[in-house]
Amino acid sequence: MATHTFCDGIQRRDFLRFGALTGVGLGLTNYLQLAEAGQVNAKARGKSAIFIRLAGGPTHMDTFDCKPDAPDTHRGEFKEIATNVKGIRISEHLPKLAKCADKFTILRGVSHTLAAHRLGSQYLNTGNRPLPSLQFPAYGAVVSKELMGDPDLPPFVAVPNQGDNPTGYLGVEYGPFATGSTPRAGQSMRIRGVSLGSGVTVDDVNRRQDLLRKFDTAFDGDLYNDKTIAGLNKFDQRAYAMLRSKKTRDAFDLSKESEAIKTRFNESGFAQSCMLATRLVESGVRFVTVNYGGWDTHNDNFNRLKTRNLPELDSGLSGLFTSLADKGLLDTTSVFVTGEFGRTPKINARGGRDHYPRAMFCLLAGGGMAGGRVVGASDAKGEGPKNEAIKPDDVAATFYHSLGIDHTKEYHTPSGRPVMIVRDGTVIKDAFA
Amino acid sequence: MRYAAALMGLFLMTFAVASADAAEPLSKRFAEPTGEAAPSFRRHVVPLMSHLGCSGRACHGSFQGRGGFQLSLFGYDFKKDHAALIGKTTSEDSDAKEFPTRINAKDPDESLILLKPTLGEKHGGKQVISEDAWEYNLIRRWIAAGAKMDVEATGTFDRLTVEPSEIVFDRPGQKVQLRVIAHWADGTVEDVTEISRFRTNDESIAQISEEGLVESKTKGDTHVVAFYDNGVAPVPVMLPVSKLVGSKHPKVDTRTKVDELVVQKLRKVGIVPSGVADDATFLRRVRLDLTGSLPTAAEARAFLDDKSKDKRARKIDELLKTPEYAAWWTTKFNDWTGASATQVSDRNFRTEQARQWYDWVNKRIAQNKPYDEIVAGIVLATSRTSPDQDYEAYATEMSSYVKAEGAADFAERPNMPHYWARRNMRQPEERALSFSYAFLGVRLQCAQCHKHPFDQWTQQDFKQFQAFFEPIYFGTPRADRDAYNKMQNELNKSVGYDPKNRNAKNAAQKRREMYEETKRRALAGEPIPWQELQVQPLKKLTAKEREQLIKRKGKKYAGRVITPRVLGGDEMVSAQYDDPRAPLMDWLRHENPYFAKAFVNRVWANHFGRGIVEPADDLNLANPPSNAALFDYLADGFVASGYDMRWLHREILNSDTYQRDWRTNDTNELDESNFSRAMVRRIHGEVVADAIRIATFADDKAAEFVSNIEYRTIGPSAGYGRYGRNAPGAYAANLFGKPVRETTCDCERTTDPTLLQTIFMRNDQEVLASIDGKDGWVASLRPQRKGSVKDDPRYKKRAAELKERLKKAPKKDQARLKASYKRQLDYYARELAKPSGGIRDDVNVDRLIEDVFLRTVARYPSADERKLAKQTIDESESQLDGVRDLLWAMLNTKEFIVNH
Repeated sequence: MATHTFCDGIQRRDFLRFGALTGVGLGLTNYLQLAEAGQVNAKARGKSAIFIRLAGGPTHMDTFDCKPDAPDTHRGEFKEIATNVKGIRISEHLPKLAKCADKFTILRGVSHTLAAHRLGSQYLNTGNRPLPSLQFPAYGAVVSKELMGDPDLPPFVAVPNQGDNPTGYLGVEYGPFATGSTPRAGQSMRIRGVSLGSGVTVDDVNRRQDLLRKFDTAFDGDLYNDKTIAGLNKFDQRAYAMLRSKKTRDAFDLSKESEAIKTRFNESGFAQSCMLATRLVESGVRFVTVNYGGWDTHNDNFNRLKTRNLPELDSGLSGLFTSLADKGLLDTTSVFVTGEFGRTPKINARGGRDHYPRAMFCLLAGGGMAGGRVVGASDAKGEGPKNEAIKPDDVAATFYHSLGIDHTKEYHTPSGRPVMIVRDGTVIKDAFA
Repeated sequence: MRYAAALMGLFLMTFAVASADAAEPLSKRFAEPTGEAAPSFRRHVVPLMSHLGCSGRACHGSFQGRGGFQLSLFGYDFKKDHAALIGKTTSEDSDAKEFPTRINAKDPDESLILLKPTLGEKHGGKQVISEDAWEYNLIRRWIAAGAKMDVEATGTFDRLTVEPSEIVFDRPGQKVQLRVIAHWADGTVEDVTEISRFRTNDESIAQISEEGLVESKTKGDTHVVAFYDNGVAPVPVMLPVSKLVGSKHPKVDTRTKVDELVVQKLRKVGIVPSGVADDATFLRRVRLDLTGSLPTAAEARAFLDDKSKDKRARKIDELLKTPEYAAWWTTKFNDWTGASATQVSDRNFRTEQARQWYDWVNKRIAQNKPYDEIVAGIVLATSRTSPDQDYEAYATEMSSYVKAEGAADFAERPNMPHYWARRNMRQPEERALSFSYAFLGVRLQCAQCHKHPFDQWTQQDFKQFQAFFEPIYFGTPRADRDAYNKMQNELNKSVGYDPKNRNAKNAAQKRREMYEETKRRALAGEPIPWQELQVQPLKKLTAKEREQLIKRKGKKYAGRVITPRVLGGDEMVSAQYDDPRAPLMDWLRHENPYFAKAFVNRVWANHFGRGIVEPADDLNLANPPSNAALFDYLADGFVASGYDMRWLHREILNSDTYQRDWRTNDTNELDESNFSRAMVRRIHGEVVADAIRIATFADDKAAEFVSNIEYRTIGPSAGYGRYGRNAPGAYAANLFGKPVRETTCDCERTTDPTLLQTIFMRNDQEVLASIDGKDGWVASLRPQRKGSVKDDPRYKKRAAELKERLKKAPKKDQARLKASYKRQLDYYARELAKPSGGIRDDVNVDRLIEDVFLRTVARYPSADERKLAKQTIDESESQLDGVRDLLWAMLNTKEFIVNH
């Protein structure tokens, strides 16, 4: 897989290969303060979530918001095709998604003003317009704080990572368990610290745990109430459970998936990551981020899309939606797909499209949200919202709402500043069934 | 109750009040709907609306307002609030919509501001007051008197005093009413208890009602705080933890001034301190705290076996001179100033500039240069090293530091300009926030948008402070733009890059080539167009210039026309200074209430896991020190010592207070803020990463590693950020909470445990490989091979086989196979070299067991532990396996991962 260089030359990161250094799992506070009952809306159907980050900013014009009647300078070379939902048409290079358009909702005319990768990503990955004085947490961090997960599994997994500062003011304990690499077809993933190293067996794990128990006695009896010691004791138990757990290892082992499901995903890293995401959710992981780069198509937009990005996206997303549906998980799993902005409707001299936050698309699915709908619209040439714009804040509020999380709930930052989960969002009612 | 003295003071106070009328509570003075005395807008109406919660965040203080009515948050923008009430917007705020007046001068009772909170009209905020309440009458009388705005007339607010000035309870459930007195510069003194806001700093110890009634809850001490206008007055509140107070407190040795001041406070609160910790605990603690390093087994053994009495003091002196001491404190200093490869100015030389920054600070800390001098070298930095250096010479100098061969030493530069050049410090407000955070330990974020809710700072204070930073400029040189452009044009031309034609087919390619050429030249020591840090003298703008500036840059730049004023200090007559940073630095050095304290508090927090003010970077009036006498003593002493950092460390570390045991007694098990015991803390990210290696390296390698900072995570690569993420130890350092240096908050560095950290220690390849590494201690225990592997008959046989196979292979495959067989043979040699599981004849198992404990927890094992360890080794498949398991187990104990 190629190394993706963003046009601004600042962020160099192969989204699907290198691990982030920020991977941190369950935190102290999860344990010492059990999830407060009654905070979560019991009526919400979403119990888990998958966030798919299309880093670099995918073009809306050549994917889910085609403008076949726009002038040559804008339209692009792709044709539109019909989907299994009457009236919804998408790009010809997304044929598999066209066959399951009833499973997801397309938001068009999503709009903001931040045309730099970093700022745009911060906005779309948190639902809050970036502020210099405050770093907002990514969705996965908020969800792992609000919803408890399975004790044998991390609540928040990022494949292969979440990107910059995923936990913001919430602190590292809500950070993702980053896999650090992308799964390969038919193979079990080696996850840092969780996979047993060469020659290490579960018996070894047991033996060493017994040994540790004998020597880890310095603070026995004293400091019973000490927060650090109590936390370390709890994590000792959890780590031991996770290392011994077949469930944990099986969740990351794609070879254990049924043939019927496997054939839906092509061999690309992205499609395999989507398959992993469905497996993780099935096993009880609360939140999975799939980070998929390579969308910064300033040059040669059409060639790159049709040969690489769109076939991979088509296979991964259609596999994800249909597998979740067939496993009976789509109704309880909220899915949110987004880039950091759209791309210029007007094609540039290099056959590419540049950054364009005024009009972009997002996809929402599952978790009680409707499928087979288009909400919002862009204008005739895809240059901006046709009517009222959908703000990234609104999409975030909707995503949280589907998970039963009140997006207006206030947290306090470490410096005591009160701040709402999403500061300026309104739930999009039309996205729900 | 023990505040008789305070009550006395209150009586005296009453006599001191000039007008008996003013001393009366407002509820009496404004009990009637009409009367002679007119309430003041600033002194009464605005504080009342704040007290009642009208200007709170959830109500009209919200940035969107509520119900079409918006007040300034925490009520300090009097003009705006007055305008909102009378239905006129302020002229500055031209975007604001017109709102209806809330005042009916002819018939005050028909004013919206009275109808709404009494539910005479629909009110989203429900009923707040009743029509016969004094609060109603106060507002009514203000309206009747003309609803005047009086911010100028009321003049300057002087100070707030609270009676009693201290509360000592003797049982839970007791209550004391506070009395809040406002003093104005014009001599007015008023009882404002009924319109003040109150807060407790620890509601588990004492609660306070909206009316200022304090109630004792549990044992311990904290502060309650009263707020009025921009006055903030904290009052200490305590319920002694035991009966052992005052003369009943047992005698505790106080060898040092620090001990004396700490015990003074403990005596008051009834806490008996823990005893002094043993030598092993002391050594490990001081090593981790002062140098960010685990002691090696050899160091621990030597220290424990040393019988001399002054060995702790000598150890402290010795550690202060080590490279790792300088490395750890450079790391901390660079956390505060945000030294990071992500934020340095030059895209071609990110890690180089991060390293320059590190080296510059490190050199000075190693030489123990005074703290204020180091700060001055950063605050007053300019890119050019002398006033007559021309651009070309400057550009050549900058290239000389990155030259591939024979580079000049950046640390030799008189100053360090990278701080002001940070990418996330280009805006004056970012600079104001970063500066106050880094050098003052003051968080100004709140005051950027509204009156600080817990401190004295107003938005005006922020704007005046920000004005210092507006003339600081980083970018293409303004005076020498031609020289810069000439150099850049020549560079563009040399590779055929045309920046004007961005759409050319090969534009991206050419631009890359240009960057590469730029980099090549710099590496060769040739000048390239370096950007630079400059300061433009402040000048007074004419009214027209000011208007244009605001038009061009927006209102936030209005600061340029504001007279700079240091926080809580004097206005600077701008024209006197060419460089506004000079008076700023003078202010830091002379009678500054924060500069020395910010550093002292951070050092204390490093050594105790908690500041005298906590959080350590949040010095504010409402967050007072837990021991003011101690704080003043250390800060004054630090200044008097000439900002000698080693003096400060010695003063703290040589005290019994620092050297106390972590084991608690009945009186101090809950104490966290009075330093009566050592607190158990997880060790810092970088320290964990390096400690794993120190504990697992062979003896000689470990000793070298500790002081060779080049390879340490607290070394020059500490600021590489994501550009150094593949370096050894980087993953662990980040996992355990090393800060990314992106936000202005000490809280970015965290020591909270997480599950993934535990999983890392248990099972990560990096930890397992450290234990088994070729430089490792375990490997050093293996029997030395007698002779080379190549003499082993099994190796010879294998070599012969492969040679035979190579001969038979087709010619075209020869080269490929030859390489492949060589690899196979090398692999086989390594396998053969692996030990059979035995250990060297010359090492004694008992000593090995000691070594495992010394290398991980810096102490000798107890008799039980020796027995258990021996048993483990005996029962293992081989002795080496046993030792390896033992080392793994000790690395995974809580005792290893915490400092205690």
